[in-house]
Amino acid sequence: MGKYKAVIGLEMHCELTSNTKVFSSAENSYNDTPNANVRPVDMAFPGTLPVVNVECIRKALLMSMVLNCTQPEYMYFDRKNYYYPDLPKGYQITQMHAPVGVNGKITIDVNGKDKKVLIHDIHLEEDSASLDHYRDISLIDYNRAGVPLLELVTEPCFYSAEEAVAFLEYMRRIYQYCGVSEADTKKGQIRCDVNVSIMNEDATELGTKVEMKNINSFANVYDAINYEIKRQTELKDAGRYDEVEQETRRFDEETGTTIRMRSKVDAIDYKYFVEPNIPKYKITKEWLEKIKKDIPMLPRERKEYYINKLGLSEYDANIIIKEKDYADYFEECVDIGINPKTAANYLIVQIIAYLNKEGIALKDFYLTPKLLYQITSELDKSTISSKQAKEIFNKAIMEGKEPKTYITSENVQISDTDALNSIIDNILANNESQIEAYHNGKTNLFDYFVGQVMKETKGKANPTIVKDILRKKLD
Amino acid sequence: MMYMNKTIEELHDLLINDKVTPEELVDESLKLSKEVQDKCNAFVTIIDKPKIMPVSENMLSGIPFGIKDNYSTEGILSTGSSNTLKDYVPFYTATAVQNLEKCGAIAINKTALDEFGMGGTGTTCHTGTVRNPWNLKRMCAGSSSGSAAAVAAGVYPFALGSDTGDSIRKPAAYCGIVGYKPTYGMISRYGLFPFASSLDHCGCLTRSVKDAAIVVDAMKGIDKNDQTSWDSSNMHLYESIDGKVKGKKLFYIKNVVDLDYYQNPTDEFVSHINNFHKTIEILEKCGVTVEGIEIDRNLLNAIPSVYVCLSCAEATSNMSNLTGIIFGPRGNGENINEMMKDHRTKGFSPLIKRRFVIGSYILQKENQEKYFVNAQRVRRLIVDKMKELFKTYDGLIMPVGTGIAPFLDNPKDSVSNDDVSVLEEHLQIGNFGGFPSITIPDGFIDDMPVGINITGNCYDDINVLNIAYALEREMPYKNQIAKEVEK
Amino acid sequence: MKFTKELVDNLADKLLIGLTEEENKLVLDEFDIIDQNMELITKIPDIDDVEPMTHTLDDFEYELRSDEKEESIPIEKLLQNCKSHEGREIEVPKIVG
Repeated sequence: MGKYKAVIGLEMHCELTSNTKVFSSAENSYNDTPNANVRPVDMAFPGTLPVVNVECIRKALLMSMVLNCTQPEYMYFDRKNYYYPDLPKGYQITQMHAPVGVNGKITIDVNGKDKKVLIHDIHLEEDSASLDHYRDISLIDYNRAGVPLLELVTEPCFYSAEEAVAFLEYMRRIYQYCGVSEADTKKGQIRCDVNVSIMNEDATELGTKVEMKNINSFANVYDAINYEIKRQTELKDAGRYDEVEQETRRFDEETGTTIRMRSKVDAIDYKYFVEPNIPKYKITKEWLEKIKKDIPMLPRERKEYYINKLGLSEYDANIIIKEKDYADYFEECVDIGINPKTAANYLIVQIIAYLNKEGIALKDFYLTPKLLYQITSELDKSTISSKQAKEIFNKAIMEGKEPKTYITSENVQISDTDALNSIIDNILANNESQIEAYHNGKTNLFDYFVGQVMKETKGKANPTIVKDILRKKLD
Repeated sequence: MMYMNKTIEELHDLLINDKVTPEELVDESLKLSKEVQDKCNAFVTIIDKPKIMPVSENMLSGIPFGIKDNYSTEGILSTGSSNTLKDYVPFYTATAVQNLEKCGAIAINKTALDEFGMGGTGTTCHTGTVRNPWNLKRMCAGSSSGSAAAVAAGVYPFALGSDTGDSIRKPAAYCGIVGYKPTYGMISRYGLFPFASSLDHCGCLTRSVKDAAIVVDAMKGIDKNDQTSWDSSNMHLYESIDGKVKGKKLFYIKNVVDLDYYQNPTDEFVSHINNFHKTIEILEKCGVTVEGIEIDRNLLNAIPSVYVCLSCAEATSNMSNLTGIIFGPRGNGENINEMMKDHRTKGFSPLIKRRFVIGSYILQKENQEKYFVNAQRVRRLIVDKMKELFKTYDGLIMPVGTGIAPFLDNPKDSVSNDDVSVLEEHLQIGNFGGFPSITIPDGFIDDMPVGINITGNCYDDINVLNIAYALEREMPYKNQIAKEVEK
Repeated sequence: MKFTKELVDNLADKLLIGLTEEENKLVLDEFDIIDQNMELITKIPDIDDVEPMTHTLDDFEYELRSDEKEESIPIEKLLQNCKSHEGREIEVPKIVG
């Protein structure tokens, strides 16, 4: 690069979480059994009509507000007309004229620096059916047909693959934080279209835009952008920039390259027009206010809060906000009275490590904040040692039993100062010669006294308190 | 004894008093169906063994009826009169039909229509041309051709229709019966095969205004499967008809109706217009004021084009689901695209293809603003003009078409630009605005019936029905059965 | 000539419809009239500011659907009109790309 700069725009499609599909009352969930989540409209049987799901609109509006977009006064939909076997109606219901959000902006963090991202629009639409390809035939499963999709379109405002992927990662997190989507790329819930152009560093006019469609992982987005920058740069260097066409390409995972699909000339005329079967729906200020209240604290705000109010390090805060589950767990711990630093420590050092090792999700993790509190509260009271705490933690998750079952009168520490005082007085009374030797400079006898207390209490005396008392009495 | 020539009101009386049974009515209706099928070719399907329903307090219980074949009916062939669906048997029933069945009405047959409602002649049904029972050489108009023919021929007292431009109201006029489409959304469109969703209305064909009210009372209601439907549970059409019309005000469009505006009109045309004015006089005797008003000619002239634009455009999209993949016959072809194209090429008739090409042209990116969006704008201007007039008047009253049903060997279902086109097509205004609109018979020319139409403001169905009823009462055409004439 | 046989075929092809020579001629013959008629729309003055009427009823109020699921339609019904299926899925010739 150097003499050129790349300009990148993103389209991010994300499946929404809801009980039912966006225009039909069929269940919106992944189903292994083909054609098991189907209502008549999902297969476009003649005479069926779309019926808009309030929950999908609510979530779409919520995201629109999160992205600081402008919401329309009246919401309605458009038909995007084209023929493809995965599109049973022969058109997709989407939003072209009045998206749920336009002209938004959001600040993200790229390698510790703020980056302002401009949002062109965010709109609600329906997913297509899925096709399974075999040797001679293809099979169509309509479970996915009509699943709600939110499509977010950015302005061409990214200048590197890092920035683009940082945005996608951040948005994935936002979707999860807002409970709008599981946003799991592995389940195909997020798909991206990416457009890339290059231009001279000092140029003001954008170069030829090349679009790559339907990329299904962020790693592939990263690779596709970098490949495309390289390809376009090489052509430009070779004086063959005219060979960079305004076209649509696809990313080939195996070769790590992009392959031409169709040029702009062959672009389909989708003949968009307003969907007449869905009347214009007034989005009231009251409803927007209500939805706004459902917006949770977002990762960037949480991070600030953790550092400034709860006293975490930036390093720890960054780890915790990475997943909404982590942050929620952490905050619940703090809410019920676990010291923030202790909670963060447990979460980062023990829990996340354990989850990664076992490959399970935090929501399936046995030791809920309430159960964790059984350990930390005893630790705070010094009834158990940190070594004991660690043992109890491990036992509890191995055996799936509440931590308090491992904390009995048999094994709890003696931290009662009065009790320890009398035990120590007893021991000192019986060791006058050692006391004298200690005072004459044999200071290593201090450990001898501690040992005696431990022996007397069968090791259950709280060593810190014992030492405190001994010092007071001897020195 | 003949029963099927009676009105719903009369039949209900007979049924409830055990003078006749639903079985007898069904048998007679089936027998008549076969006769009318031979003469008029009105049906796609005659149901073998209609499900007998018991008689109840409901006016429609035990009453036979016909269903236009673009309504989805569970377990019964539903073709839309198109080869693309020639073997399609739905697994669900349209809401409007379901509502009638809940009342105990008994479906007897599925009636033929211009393919998917996209025609006005009854000549483009995949089962062949529908003939007018008054004169078999003449057309019924369309697209509810089979329903109009059957009700006029006395197969049953009512049949379902659908109306996108005038598809209920024009065949009603040509067949000498009543055709009513209520306000848009009063009847759910769920299960009606769409032609142009923003213009499509459900409705019925009957032989009396009160029967039309009874049928629509049963068909209507908000439906969770149609978000354009609305709650009309506080509207009781039949009960609200009292015939009190003194002081009502109607208008007609003078610069469309007055003979002065036409050069060299035919005798038939003159008779038709004179008959209209005679009918107006009857209304005036009832205490109704009728005034002729002028509307900007440019606006009026645009009506047929606005209709062609919007209906063809929406239709291309609405019928994109007809690919032969999930239902309908499979096309042949090496690949999926060829397969879909073969299905559509073979399945659609030439007329409908013609309309598709127009729709495709209009919706193209480079034409969309100029044609489609401007048509939507002019639609609003026309509707706004009507709504402004409805502030002063209870409704618009107009003759239907330019005369009697044309001969079949001289169809005029091509796009025309002659000066009568506005009079021929003005009923489309009712679809633009979603207005309640009813046609009733108001006389004969050359032994063939003609009709008059009353259209009112949205949600003002009761007013419209009431005026129609008052007029019907003063004329001898209520519940007339077609008498075949050779001419 | 504004309208040609090729244009007509192309318009039809975009809707996955083939036209016979006869059908093409039928369309072509009346396309000029249609076009003239369309011009009637453009004769209405000052309409740029008129809001296009995309829905039939203005000021229509309605409720959105609550997010409650209904049972999926049994597979036999979904497939009863389908001419080619494999197991629970609809079968079509192999789709490439």
